[in-house]
Amino acid sequence: MKKIGLFYSFNTKNTSAAAKLIQDELGQNVEVVNVEEATEDDFKRFSSFILGVPTWWDGELPNYWDEFLPCVEDDSMDGKTFALYGAGDQKGYPDNFVDAIGLMVDFIEARGGRVIGYVANEGYQFNASRALRNGQFVGLPLDFENQAELVKPRISKWLKIILKQF
Amino acid sequence: MIEKKKYTVKQTPKETLSHWYYLMYLGRKLDEKAPNYLKQALGWSYHAPYAGHDGIQLAIGQVFEKKKDYLFPYYRDMLTTLSAGMTELEIILNGISKADDPSSGGRHMSNHFAKPEWNIENVSSCTGNHTLHAVGVARALKKYGEQAVAISSQGESSVSEGYVYEAITGADREQLPVIFVIQDNGYGISVPKKDQTANRKVIDNFSGYKNLHLIHCNGKDVFDSMNAMDEAKRFVLETGNPVILHANCVRMGSHSNSDAHELYRDEDERNYVKQYDPLAKYRRMLLRYKRFTEDELFEIEKKAKAAVKVAHKKAIAAPHPSADSIHDFVVPEPIKSLKYPEGLHQENSGEKIKLITALNETLKAEFRHNPDTYIWGQDMANKDKGGIFNVSKGLQQEFGKERVFNAPIAEDFIVGTANGMSRYKENMRIVVEGAEFADYFWPAMEQLVESSHEYYRTNGKFVPNITIRLASGGYIGGGLYHSQNIEGTLTTFPGIRVVYPSSADDAAGLLRTSIRSKGITLFLEPKALYNDPKAEAIVPNDFMVPFGKARVRRKGSDITLVTYGNTTPMCLEVADKLHAESGTEIEVLDLRSLLPLDSEAIMNSIKKTNRVLVVHEDKVFGGFGGEIAAQISAEAFEYLDAPVKRVGAEFTPVGFNRILENATLPNVQKILDATRELLKY
Repeated sequence: MKKIGLFYSFNTKNTSAAAKLIQDELGQNVEVVNVEEATEDDFKRFSSFILGVPTWWDGELPNYWDEFLPCVEDDSMDGKTFALYGAGDQKGYPDNFVDAIGLMVDFIEARGGRVIGYVANEGYQFNASRALRNGQFVGLPLDFENQAELVKPRISKWLKIILKQF
Repeated sequence: MIEKKKYTVKQTPKETLSHWYYLMYLGRKLDEKAPNYLKQALGWSYHAPYAGHDGIQLAIGQVFEKKKDYLFPYYRDMLTTLSAGMTELEIILNGISKADDPSSGGRHMSNHFAKPEWNIENVSSCTGNHTLHAVGVARALKKYGEQAVAISSQGESSVSEGYVYEAITGADREQLPVIFVIQDNGYGISVPKKDQTANRKVIDNFSGYKNLHLIHCNGKDVFDSMNAMDEAKRFVLETGNPVILHANCVRMGSHSNSDAHELYRDEDERNYVKQYDPLAKYRRMLLRYKRFTEDELFEIEKKAKAAVKVAHKKAIAAPHPSADSIHDFVVPEPIKSLKYPEGLHQENSGEKIKLITALNETLKAEFRHNPDTYIWGQDMANKDKGGIFNVSKGLQQEFGKERVFNAPIAEDFIVGTANGMSRYKENMRIVVEGAEFADYFWPAMEQLVESSHEYYRTNGKFVPNITIRLASGGYIGGGLYHSQNIEGTLTTFPGIRVVYPSSADDAAGLLRTSIRSKGITLFLEPKALYNDPKAEAIVPNDFMVPFGKARVRRKGSDITLVTYGNTTPMCLEVADKLHAESGTEIEVLDLRSLLPLDSEAIMNSIKKTNRVLVVHEDKVFGGFGGEIAAQISAEAFEYLDAPVKRVGAEFTPVGFNRILENATLPNVQKILDATRELLKY
């Protein structure tokens, strides 16, 4: 299989921890890229992506994603496939739980990219999320604050699904 | 289809990006330098740092067009005002309260940046109360067909204030060109926003409004903020409908220099908000996308630092305001009548008219005289109805719905939008029925107090030109909420005038003077006299009564009755009665105007009569008569043969049953008894 580009910020705690779990499971099938330094060329090298997109503040993309996206904002993402995971806090920010996943999916789909790895919303408690469509999240929400014990099994389960869809 | 944004790091012209970086860096240097002035005891004792709001503040200033749009910045809007065109020198002059501060000449608190001559408005420290002013001026922009917007900028906690809801509701209903920018940094001083609103993004509370368009943006991101503000302005200009824009910000520092955020934010939070630093983010993007080199940015930074240094030196050398200026620009000079300098007339031909007719005819005459005169209030204009007492009857039929219209039951909105609308034109004159009854004016006290400060606070650059009519007083069996006299409170505020006529001619003359003069006049109408034959008079067509001129209603030499409003006819009755009984000559002095007060007329009368009784309908305890009595004690003590006595209402609310009302309010018998008592001395 073609290598999957695993894009996330290396200067993160939870998102990096999740990336480590993903690498542990996928081994040589993934290549990590620090989104803080990524270029358009880095992006062009892959057709399959896993993106680590945590939600900041009241439902925003982290600065490093904001700062990267102009690199690829004019590119077509036709033929590229994306799976997204992201940290969110159901109790602290229930009104914008993992919004950043939704924001990123909007950006990808507006450019023709395919998004896989939807996750049912059972087992999460929150008020609203931009990542929710028809009862499913458009990526994998991870809650390190309130459901830390579920992080690893959720990632394992999710990887099994997305690997079939890439 | 990819939606093309107007502003992106790759497409925006380099010159524009450079200008923005200069402004942002300049602002940050000033924001960081401000606390040093306090440490050196040079001023700037109030400083609300804006760091963390940089994106949205830059954007507000960039879309604002000076002298065309109206901008109402709040106390954290340093970069907003710099971006709108104010200079670093003007910012520091305000910060250290120098005489050349364009906002207020050192009168208003520091960190309240403004330049009224450019329509960068000078606003209150009361958070968000300028929202009503933005809506008011937007009403004028719409009526006069301007392609311009009013921008109200404020923090998210200000939206907890009821008047902000009144303002946004009004803008939505009237479909006015306003952009409400809510800069959300998560805190109202130390109070987290969860204690302010159920919806974490407070503008979502307005999602059900019919005409209001909601926009969310990242206020820490220059490009997202610029696109959002651009979208907001285009939407308002194209549709005429208002926008409420929510900008997600962070507060990188404390609320102000009197706040210590270490007391309520843990270290993690204090650190992570710094990671959001919008200036650092913008800088990184300029470099990452190779729009600038490090050297180029360094040059811009150098230029900004140099500008701050030069401005600092000039500001330090600038003069302070002088102590003898404190009485300048408190109340503007009123219009003067050459024909009626004392507010008296000798007209004896023609028919006597009722007080209510005099008000109605004078309003109509003034609307004919000045086409920029407006009136609104509750119950004001629906077919044949013209106010609860029909004072404004027929105005809408003659002058149309654009100039004569109903207001919602929101007294603060009535007064606050009058303040706002009067900013549009110097010759604009606004009359409002401040409330159905004076008793319902209390919610508007917030805007009255605010408006009373404008002339002083702007150092004479702006004064609202408003006549606030209030049907006042009792004797109608109205009970607790239809009988109040509120002049005892109103006369404690410098910056306004308070008049209280008691006859048709004085009502007409004072109303004309009020409407034609600059400034704010509280026009208290004794509603019990509206249709009372005792208040009827012949009224010359052009009659004017100056402020601060009392009227001798009856000449006398034995005692002076100082009065106004509903008790004037009672005092005259007492005078006639005692004269008939014993030949006593009582002088009845009708003050007509309480603020300013004709102290000279009072003292002159006492010098002649050596006895004085102060009579008013309002409560004796805490009533306006206390001020009169105190002045008499200080200035005419040696002329007195008897103590200064007062007659007025008991210190209790006015009960609804007539027995209760009669027992509470002053009447002829009570005045008679007190007069007789004084005459015994």
